[in-house]
Amino acid sequence: MPIVIQPYRPEHEPAVAEFNQRLRQAGQDENTVFYRSAEPRWLPRTSNSRIYNEFFVAIDNGLDGTKVRGGYALKTQDFLFPDGQVRSIAYYHHPLSEGIVNKAHAVVGTLLLRDAMQRAPLLYCLGMGGYDRPLPQMLIRLGWAHCLVPFFFRVLNPTRFLRQMQTLRESARRTIVMDLAAVTGLGWAGSKLFQTYRALTAPSATRAETDSVATFDENAQLLWDRARQACSFTAVRDREALQVLYPPSEAHLTRIEIKRGGSAIGWAVVGERRKDAKYGNLRVGSVVDCWALPGEFLPVVRAATETLKRHGFDLILTNQSHQDWGSAFKAAGYLSAPSNFLFAASKKLAELLAPFDETRVRMHLTRADGDGLPRNF
Amino acid sequence: MTSTFEQVQAIASDIFGVPAGKISADSSPETVENWDSMQHLNLVLAIEEKFGVQLAPEDIEQMKTIGAAATLVEKRLQSPAR
Repeated sequence: MPIVIQPYRPEHEPAVAEFNQRLRQAGQDENTVFYRSAEPRWLPRTSNSRIYNEFFVAIDNGLDGTKVRGGYALKTQDFLFPDGQVRSIAYYHHPLSEGIVNKAHAVVGTLLLRDAMQRAPLLYCLGMGGYDRPLPQMLIRLGWAHCLVPFFFRVLNPTRFLRQMQTLRESARRTIVMDLAAVTGLGWAGSKLFQTYRALTAPSATRAETDSVATFDENAQLLWDRARQACSFTAVRDREALQVLYPPSEAHLTRIEIKRGGSAIGWAVVGERRKDAKYGNLRVGSVVDCWALPGEFLPVVRAATETLKRHGFDLILTNQSHQDWGSAFKAAGYLSAPSNFLFAASKKLAELLAPFDETRVRMHLTRADGDGLPRNF
Repeated sequence: MTSTFEQVQAIASDIFGVPAGKISADSSPETVENWDSMQHLNLVLAIEEKFGVQLAPEDIEQMKTIGAAATLVEKRLQSPAR
């Protein structure tokens, strides 16, 4: 019997559990699993939702019974395009194939991707961990348009940063140098000098006020309406979308609104990033999402940074595709580093983004457009 | 005249980096070392390009051996996938 790809339903859950078990037995780490529940916990589809997740599974009705051989997820969401139209497009995420542990199922990865492209021709991928990973290589082979989404970071606690950053501590010599820098305060002094230099060379901005809000209201709608033309391509970030993406129930996220003279000029969503061994015990915060009137990006970045600083984070990470947001983060003392966060657009989607090299510099893509909200950004 | 099987065999030889003589009709991901998910996609795309056919997901699923791939190509040349 052939493998068929179907929407994931509750009756598939036992077969998915067995699939996950086979992956674990083959040595995959405990996070390499498909969703245990057929009902998405994040953004489930409702009768009137414009942003929703759906899961699909590859069913193999072989001689030894029904088996799940893989699965993937699609997040559907409205995006604003360069032609000014809003279209519903899909994000392909969490593809998982038994082919990674059993070559007899090498076909499944291709099947999953082809199935998603048939269901949602306007398809994109985001993140993926770098060009050397299998999925980006498949997408490039399929002729998808692609680019890196620049990565920015700012160290708030240089001493802890120097002591904890595992990736920077790979060689013994570097470890000693970093420990010395941390102990003697050289790291702190160097970091402060750099921040001071950036602050002095950054454009000055008149004072802005920051309010923490439980939910985004009509100001967010106003900001969307007034700032959308600054982006060539962006997920719709109007009031309705923000209320779905960042509901008050997501208590670990902090929503801030930035005003000047009582008028909203932007907003941001910040929060703690998931634990990652490469950051040791550092408290890592993230500017998850942001939006501002043209020319007001820097005060929004500063407000988001100050909020995370007050919350005691040691390090802030963010990914920003729009060149003006990138400039604002740099002006606020952030450094850029090599990114492994990729954006890839199916051929059909890329046709609507042409010329891609011109469009991409004004695309507004952040971690929030990926698969991780609310837990994995 | 080169048969469909020989042409698919040549494609597979190129993609998997294995001499054509070592690829038989029964060759599969389990017997060809480099035949993984990525190379399976490359095989599908190369076949589509070489023969000017469009393979449907159910076709791709059937391509579990080189012989099955060649049979499928012949089928699609006679009756294109919808």
